[in-house]
Amino acid sequence: MIDWYNSNSVLLQTTLTTLLLALSIQVSMRVGVFSFAGIGAFGIGGYLAAIGMTKWQLETIPAIAIGALAGAVVVFLLGLLIGKLTGLYLGMATIAFTLIVAVLAINGGELTGGASGIFGALGDITLEGVALVVLVVVALLTFTELGSLGRQLDTVREDPELANSLGISVTRYRRISFAVSGLIGGLAGGITTLTRSTITPEEVNFHLVVLALTVIVVGGSGSWVGALIGSIIFVWLPTWLDFVSEWEELIYGVLVTLAAIFLPKGILGVIRDLIHRWQSSRAKKAAGVIGPDQDPHSISIAETALPAGVGGRTPNRRPASTTKEES
Amino acid sequence: MSTPLLEVRDLAVHFGGVKAVDGISLSLQEGSIYGVLGPNGSGKSTLLGAITRLTPATRGDILFEGRSYANVSASRVHHLGVGRTFQTVRLLEDRTVRDNVLLGADTTRKSRAEIAERADYVMELVRIHTIQKVRPSELSYGMQRRVEFARAIVSDPKILLLDEPTAGMNTNERQEITAVMRLLQTEGLTQFIIEHDVAMMVDVCDYMYAMNFGKLIAEGKPDEVVRDELVQEAYLGKRAKKHA
Repeated sequence: MIDWYNSNSVLLQTTLTTLLLALSIQVSMRVGVFSFAGIGAFGIGGYLAAIGMTKWQLETIPAIAIGALAGAVVVFLLGLLIGKLTGLYLGMATIAFTLIVAVLAINGGELTGGASGIFGALGDITLEGVALVVLVVVALLTFTELGSLGRQLDTVREDPELANSLGISVTRYRRISFAVSGLIGGLAGGITTLTRSTITPEEVNFHLVVLALTVIVVGGSGSWVGALIGSIIFVWLPTWLDFVSEWEELIYGVLVTLAAIFLPKGILGVIRDLIHRWQSSRAKKAAGVIGPDQDPHSISIAETALPAGVGGRTPNRRPASTTKEES
Repeated sequence: MSTPLLEVRDLAVHFGGVKAVDGISLSLQEGSIYGVLGPNGSGKSTLLGAITRLTPATRGDILFEGRSYANVSASRVHHLGVGRTFQTVRLLEDRTVRDNVLLGADTTRKSRAEIAERADYVMELVRIHTIQKVRPSELSYGMQRRVEFARAIVSDPKILLLDEPTAGMNTNERQEITAVMRLLQTEGLTQFIIEHDVAMMVDVCDYMYAMNFGKLIAEGKPDEVVRDELVQEAYLGKRAKKHA
């Protein structure tokens, strides 16, 4: 086990950073925002972490933290600017943002190293350290998927008008998602850069958008678990299938197409559907509903007595001032 | 007369040259069931959208317990104590019935225990308590409507706005939903129903308004409103009315 761990530590670390990258767009998609701004934040976080270490002589953690915070602030401000856009238009605007980050990096002169980028920014990063960061991020995201908050975020994604009518502020949650997306993207960029010790404008480009989208589409966008499934598949696939490395882009394209057609909710969605089907079948059996002839709407309201709450457990707010009988 | 629970003053919603709602004024007292009758396209749903602020009003004012909320955001209206259902079923398909019901109280300040108790109560009230773990897609249309109803009342609103609550239901399901409306009235819940099912409206409403082409054409007791010439004309047309 230890041998396997040591020999695969690079792949494990890449899986974790790919997961962070994918999460940077998953948190937006979770609330129905088709945004790739997290990828641009990856560039901001990566460059600022590298600049922090090489030019400002910062330690590893402050360098990564500055990059992540800058990613959060910039993407939040971007969200304020383009937050009213939706769907493809928003997606295009955020891809343009990512490309602008790359252009700024090329034209950043000495600060960003121009087209050749920054070298020698090697941070003191261990696999365990990265795992701890990912664990914290995943724990926080898990919290947002459970209970009341989970239901509210699902509603913001599925039906914004319904969400507003239920008192859920769609605008607020979407703005927060921009900031969190930027934070996670910046974190992914900083860790990746300081692990590789280098960053160039080529690394912060459209291919990252494709990679993150592929991971999310195949794994499933509804939860961080989907991003994890996708990250494992796309980081480890080339090692399992030797020929994949030569045909990587083609294989990615085929997998995304197949997933989009046959698995619209990703692999995670299929697993969840199976679990729910099993649970529903048990619940129906427990409720005595086993077929169309025993549809639950045979349970009549009119024919049954009032539940204990009517005029009892839940006190009447006030007697009706005008009732049918009175009029 | 006491301050109305909900008051609408000269409310208008115009879409370009189309006057979907044009100068409507209503006054709803607490505890009664009010209805708005009107043929398709008369502006009923737009009126409901404007009252809940989901549809921006062109002019006019809306007051809840005497205070104007014409400028607050749509998500704040729910916190005033305004619950609503929609014309079509809008449930979270990937969530269970219980989750869908709890969603209605997620933004209230009540404790989890209070919300759970209230959810148990309303699910029992609309008779969906035995299917709490089932997903909506596995239920009949009538049952899905009941889930929506439970979600709308779980937050214990002061007024419930119902957009065609019996649309698409069979006779039994209609009777059951109207039974729920009456039960809620016994608890003092004010209800405002948008419908074009005349028989159901006459049956449950205490006071009724009739709309056509974005304007109010009649108001009063239900049996008076349905006998009103303009209302009959709106529903049957001039010629048909003569033969009627």
